[in-house]
Amino acid sequence: MTPEEEEILIEQVAGAYRPRAREELRYHPAWHDLGEAERVRAYEIARSMRKVEAALDADGMSTTARAVLARIEGR
Amino acid sequence: MDLDAHLPAILTGDTRAFGRWMAGAEGTMRDSLRSFASVLDVESVLQEALLRVWQVAPRFVADGRPNGLLRLGIRIARNLAVSELRRTKSRPVPEEDLERALAQAEAVDAGESGPDPLLREVLAKCHDRLPEKPRQVIGIRLSSEGGRSDDELASLVGMRVNTFLQNFTRARRMLADCLKKHGILVEEGLES
Repeated sequence: MTPEEEEILIEQVAGAYRPRAREELRYHPAWHDLGEAERVRAYEIARSMRKVEAALDADGMSTTARAVLARIEGR
Repeated sequence: MDLDAHLPAILTGDTRAFGRWMAGAEGTMRDSLRSFASVLDVESVLQEALLRVWQVAPRFVADGRPNGLLRLGIRIARNLAVSELRRTKSRPVPEEDLERALAQAEAVDAGESGPDPLLREVLAKCHDRLPEKPRQVIGIRLSSEGGRSDDELASLVGMRVNTFLQNFTRARRMLADCLKKHGILVEEGLES
């Protein structure tokens, strides 16, 4: 995998999108293609981006919180 | 005022009140899972844990200390992560974050838990100054509320997924630069 390809995967994993599942947890498909250091990097990017998202959101909610709310509200 | 101030409304099934609770609780819960980041998809574990907090909230009994629901959420997230380690036969990780997260949870103040007003103001300016494509990809990810894959979003804005994500990386780093120029301390993850 080239560094550019790795960057693309990290950016995907750092997003809040996760496939929906009824029973078990569904990981982002790209997560499995990352090494341990890259997974931690995706975590750190997600951590800082969620604060940015919350600060840009009128209700102070990140895309993580919005995704959970959508599931609760059946959207 | 602690985050449990949202409990009465949450108990009536007010999902927006739970949203306000999540806005204050998410960061502490995510931090409590940091030691699992190399072996589990923390975003997935965190979303499931938040969902389970909503499901158990009607049976929650406060113990008189602040942020009881958040402390319960941290334990739910931890237990979920540990069972995931067993299910996926991943290697165990140190438990160092749990006590720190629980202590941090007691100090969370609902009155201060939303985004910092100065950060909001500066970030809005920085966001407005982004070039068109980076601003567009940030905007569509925000409006998708985590409900659509990057492949879908890229297709909606007429970009290849690689171009879409490269624009996202660019946007993230430009926001970090802009915040720094305005004297705001930027976390490593934002500019990496």
